[in-house]
Amino acid sequence: MSVHRGDGLADGNPADGNPADQAPSEVTDQARQARARYLLLDERPMPDLVAQLLGPMQRAGPLYWLLFAVLGCMVLVAGGVWIYQMWWGIGITGLNRPVMWAVYIANFVYFIGIGVAGTFISAVLRVLRFQWRAPITRAAETLTVFALATSGLFPLIHLGRTWKFYWMLPYPNQRRLWPSYHSALLWDLTAILTYLTSSVLFAWLVMIPDLATVRDRIARGWRHRLMNVLALGWRGTEGEWSHLKTATTIFSLAIIPVMILMHSIVGWDFAMTIQAGWQSTVFGPYFVSGALLSGAAAVIIVLAVARKTLHLEYFLRAEHFDGMGRFLLVLSLAWAYFYFNDVLVPWYGQLPVDKTILQLFTSGRAAPLWSLMVFSNLVLPAATLWSRRVRTSIPAMVVISIFVNIGMYLERYLIVAVTLGRNELPFDWGAYVPHLPEILITVGAFSLIGFLFLVFVKLFPIIPIWEVREGQMKQGLRRIGRDLVPTRVDPD
Amino acid sequence: MIARTERKWTMVVDLDKCTGCEACVVACHAENNVPIVSQEQVVRGRAMHWIHIERYWEGEYPNVRARFIPLLCQQCQRAPCEPVCPVYATLHSEQENLNLQIYNRCVGTRYCQNNDPYKVRFFNFFDPVFDEPLNEQLNPDVTVRSAGVMEKCTFCVQRIRRAEERALVEGRALQDGEVVPACVETCPPSALVFGDLLDASSAVAQLLQNNQRAFRLLGHLGTEPSIYYLKGGTSRVGA
Amino acid sequence: MGIGPMRIGRRTFLQIGAASIAGAVLAGCEHPRRWVHLEPYVRPPEEQLAGVATWYASTCRQCPAGCGIVVRIMNGRALKIEGNPEHPLNRGKLCARGQAGLQLLYNPDRLSGPVQQEQVGGQGRGSRRFSPLSWDAALNALYSKLQAAGSRFAIWAGSNTSGHLVDLFQRFAQAAGAPAPLFYDLYSALSGRRALREADRTLLGDEQLPAYDVGHADVVLSFGGNVLGTGLSTVRYGVEYGAFRGQPLGKRGYLVQIEPRMSITGAVADRWLPARPGSEARVAQALAWIIADQSLGSPDRAARARALVGETDVGQVAAESGLSVEDLERLARTFAAAERPLALPGGWVAGQPNGGEATTVIQALNLIAGMAGQPDGADWNPMTTSQDLPSSELVRPLTSSFSEVQDLVERMRAGEVQVLLVHGANPAFSLPDALGFADAVQHVPFVVSFSPLVDETALHADLILPDRTYLESWGYDVVSPNFGVPVVSSQQPVVTPVFDARSTADVLLTVARGIEPVSVALPWSDEVALLQDVIASLPAGAFGGSGRDVLWARFLQHGGWWPALSGIPSLATAPPALPGAPIQLAPTAAPSAQLAQEYPYHLYLYLSDLLSDGRGANQPWLQGTPDPMTTVSWQTWVELHPDTARELGVQEGDIVRLTSAHGELEAPAYLYPAIRPDTVAVPIGQGHTDGGRYARDRGANPMALLGAEADGSGDNLVWASGRVSVTRTGQRTALARFGNRVGVTEGFVNEAFPG
Repeated sequence: MSVHRGDGLADGNPADGNPADQAPSEVTDQARQARARYLLLDERPMPDLVAQLLGPMQRAGPLYWLLFAVLGCMVLVAGGVWIYQMWWGIGITGLNRPVMWAVYIANFVYFIGIGVAGTFISAVLRVLRFQWRAPITRAAETLTVFALATSGLFPLIHLGRTWKFYWMLPYPNQRRLWPSYHSALLWDLTAILTYLTSSVLFAWLVMIPDLATVRDRIARGWRHRLMNVLALGWRGTEGEWSHLKTATTIFSLAIIPVMILMHSIVGWDFAMTIQAGWQSTVFGPYFVSGALLSGAAAVIIVLAVARKTLHLEYFLRAEHFDGMGRFLLVLSLAWAYFYFNDVLVPWYGQLPVDKTILQLFTSGRAAPLWSLMVFSNLVLPAATLWSRRVRTSIPAMVVISIFVNIGMYLERYLIVAVTLGRNELPFDWGAYVPHLPEILITVGAFSLIGFLFLVFVKLFPIIPIWEVREGQMKQGLRRIGRDLVPTRVDPD
Repeated sequence: MIARTERKWTMVVDLDKCTGCEACVVACHAENNVPIVSQEQVVRGRAMHWIHIERYWEGEYPNVRARFIPLLCQQCQRAPCEPVCPVYATLHSEQENLNLQIYNRCVGTRYCQNNDPYKVRFFNFFDPVFDEPLNEQLNPDVTVRSAGVMEKCTFCVQRIRRAEERALVEGRALQDGEVVPACVETCPPSALVFGDLLDASSAVAQLLQNNQRAFRLLGHLGTEPSIYYLKGGTSRVGA
Repeated sequence: MGIGPMRIGRRTFLQIGAASIAGAVLAGCEHPRRWVHLEPYVRPPEEQLAGVATWYASTCRQCPAGCGIVVRIMNGRALKIEGNPEHPLNRGKLCARGQAGLQLLYNPDRLSGPVQQEQVGGQGRGSRRFSPLSWDAALNALYSKLQAAGSRFAIWAGSNTSGHLVDLFQRFAQAAGAPAPLFYDLYSALSGRRALREADRTLLGDEQLPAYDVGHADVVLSFGGNVLGTGLSTVRYGVEYGAFRGQPLGKRGYLVQIEPRMSITGAVADRWLPARPGSEARVAQALAWIIADQSLGSPDRAARARALVGETDVGQVAAESGLSVEDLERLARTFAAAERPLALPGGWVAGQPNGGEATTVIQALNLIAGMAGQPDGADWNPMTTSQDLPSSELVRPLTSSFSEVQDLVERMRAGEVQVLLVHGANPAFSLPDALGFADAVQHVPFVVSFSPLVDETALHADLILPDRTYLESWGYDVVSPNFGVPVVSSQQPVVTPVFDARSTADVLLTVARGIEPVSVALPWSDEVALLQDVIASLPAGAFGGSGRDVLWARFLQHGGWWPALSGIPSLATAPPALPGAPIQLAPTAAPSAQLAQEYPYHLYLYLSDLLSDGRGANQPWLQGTPDPMTTVSWQTWVELHPDTARELGVQEGDIVRLTSAHGELEAPAYLYPAIRPDTVAVPIGQGHTDGGRYARDRGANPMALLGAEADGSGDNLVWASGRVSVTRTGQRTALARFGNRVGVTEGFVNEAFPG
């Protein structure tokens, strides 16, 4: 990471020694390589940056409309299926006794997991001052918001009487009952609403300077009016920047515990029960690590797609995928540690029902799914992400990320739908098979996120321009004595 | 609020006497308006039998045995299904020491079934269908549930309430044997016995006193069921 | 004939009002006793309160046992059936089938009003097109056909028929000069009713159905009968079993079940012995011989054994049955040494080619034990012959022999039967195709069914005059077997009839009026008059009272008549005289090599614990409740031992075809751990083509696999010696099982059954 502190050297190759000792052409070459490789060393004039983003925002080619139509249709189909399900009953799904929770809850947990990573990248990396995160943050935060919104649909979809969902909200009512805070579902509700609100506010907050930029660049039309409202009258004064910094810092620090607690609470939905295979004290951190893993991988996919379709090669470079790749590797190992914990303890205890579940996963009917999960979440990342070549190859990162997402989805599915089929009374064991309604709604959920992104990129810049600029400027900061003095390095 | 005597409704299931005849199963359907699901739904795991007989095989042919365990809601004193319901659709009756199920409040999260180790809760995956005139038979004392609602054995709480009210109106104490759930009433070998454990003279209290055969199902989970099972056995004759 | 309503007298109103619901239209006949002027519910009868239930006593008719029931009525609707706590037979308990009776009462596919089957394109019967006609027209049609037929008609009834209707059928036939009515249905045939009665006649000279005091027994050997599920008196034996296991001082009895496939009785037995099908009675004979040979037990027992049973090669019996000689000897010792041992002959044994003899041999074990006629043994019903009935007006339920069935079918085929009346039986469904009923009935010009729904036999009928279901009917049942207390169980309508059906007894009485010789024999105006005459003839019972009306009211109110405690006749204490020659069964014949090759497996059919002989198939509670042993509902399945399945390459759910010499059946396979590997089992009850939406078009009827031979005595259908081959069809289906849905069958709460 030394590069990002402004050494100007690519591979950390100190043997080159003092640039002053080198020939001017070598320095030029190195500098050119550095500029090519690192965004933050590659300053361009602001109007260029803006034009690169605004261009795609205002144009929509046939591919865009095709995707729009397809994803929109899938969302509508999913909505239709949901209405059909409310009309006829949950019976149209594959749910049964004893597997009363399955794909819908797995989706809920999965999408929340994706949502976690966005904020993590944004907030934690901000707090830790990892400058390379600059162009990624908005995509990540947006993914958080969309994933959360999508996941929030699933507790409604899975309800037997969805139209009475509001009984779970605390409001004075004729039943004279508050909802029961003994129930982990209420903790879920509270945590998710808190997190969603904070994420939306946070995403908006850090978007304000860019909204102002767009407002200023596009002088008329609905876009201008929209930006005008959303930019809250930002003028870019010193004072406003200072307030923004403070607010961002507060938010970043505050949202981290919310994020960790929120996903722990989702894990506690399961861990607080006495269902075999669920009652595990490690579920809190286990779920958080899994969420981060799936979320980071999802962010990688989003970035890769955005880069390709919006021609953001300038902003999103191999270095970002390299950084995300390292991040992914660490998360994969962390996840593996927690999972190992979760498996080792019951395996050692040898309680009959725990043994049954382990056997089901490792050598029983669920073995193919379980093996794929372990492969995707641990084996593949651990085997490949050591290599810089892999990490800097965008196609390879996309493939790995897709596998990680599949693996994480399977992990949720195994925990929810497969484990519920086993309990202490073998007479009452069961199995679950997803039926068409679940499949269509799940596809619809993924489509919804894609669709929301499609809408988003036409309204807002997907790359935080001001953060990139800020990062680039920070590269030029030199410590002279006690002062930090901004400098500029001209390549030629 | 009418002041009520505290009760500890308890059932004793004598596994030595149960023949697996399933009279209790049908009686419960009749008393509590429990729907019968179609063949296709049985295949998909949606059958609903508030009380059912679990049949376990033991051993290898020709020394194979089959064992019957009638299973119904255990009416736990520390019911794991209660804290997880967000809308208080399942909660504890402190006075009767029963686990109540309030159909009107249920929104169908199905969390209670997940936390039920006995898996004795049943969800209405569809609206129940009672082809006319079979609906004439429906018991007016018991709500007919709709799709999306969870249900389970209530120890025939409607019979408990009727008996308590009658005793109250008549100004007398409730007698042992006055409250009989449908399953207990019909069981030919009298494998099921029901009563108030707080009444020392009741049949259940007498049965359970110093009874070495008594145990509770999945007792290690600490749910403290109100149902005591009496272990079954085998007679052997020597040479 | 004109039929018109008349007002009912007040006194009569009260007496009937005390027994049935207000506003009940009791019958379509015109006698002044019967019509009740409809009162609006603004002025309900005195015993009715809104929201408060009234309970009416009656008798269950889901099987021939005759358990007393009370039915909960609220606002004119029947809500729940419970056992009648006062009834001496079932003492307030009731089985699953009894509980489901409400779904027969309220079955959506019941007929409302008479119908005739339409001629469609030259096809009369079987068109399934029914057109309604009025009761008057229907009665007139029946009347004219019967009058024209003279003596050439036949009545086929079930053996679960109310005593008064049995009486009417018999009188009608006799007066018209027709052959005696046939009383035959599958449930009674398969529970071995006839064989047991005949065994008693052989051994004891009386022909009552024996009842066994299991509740006080210490050793019970049950041969081939699912006593606790589908025997002769399911509920009472359930009650007895409860007492058997709960005897004082911690005694819990020793039950041995000898059958090739474990039923629920086998499941709760202390030992289940899967003897080869057909060898069960030989096992009994061997036990008796061992007692005789080794002088086991008391000298009396050994002596009786020697007198009753001829020499038997125990080793050969061991080889025939597959049990070891040690097992046989141990059983014999246990039986002989017990204080109160019992041997229970089951229907499976009666269904074998030597069924009658086989039943007798097993019954002989009870004589050996000296249990016959003892208060706590095999209680012989003191109402032995008709003069020992408390009243000569009473008629016991009857079961005809199978050769009588064959006779009737022959007569039908020969065209000797002009009119066939079918009531309470479904021969087109429940008898083997090989009997040829469907063919023979074509030769009967006019067929009348009294079935409340269109069943398979009604499909062959020209006219259906739907009878009321038992919860809307009058009647009585002389309980048989009665476990030592003579009981006449009462039946009364508990609700206003839901559908426009009429009691068959009333139909007969109406029609009889116009037929000269018959009208003399059936002088009653309606069935209630007949019933009241019968009840009035009973001596003083447990409820006292005198006078016709009071006796009638108390009869209905309590659910029947039985003697006061002091009035229960004491049973014979002297041991009955033994028959002359010792009984000796021929060794169980092994099948010929060719037969064993072509049909390698024994076929074990059994009455479904829920559907019984198929009559429960139209009640969704019975269809939807899991079978106790397999937990499957709504289907027919073929039970195979897992080893057998493996050999055949059959997995659970694979549809297999069973082929016998007489027919075929296809059903999904179920891997059953407690069945002999050389045997396959199929439950009876499904395979209906008619009978309502719940019964129709599901499963398969295994009666198709049987031949229609009678056993040596001519009494019993041979249904227990079938053989089949098993082949895969290559198709699969899902089994609708409630438990073990992921195929795991073992493992349970270990603390529940230590040891």
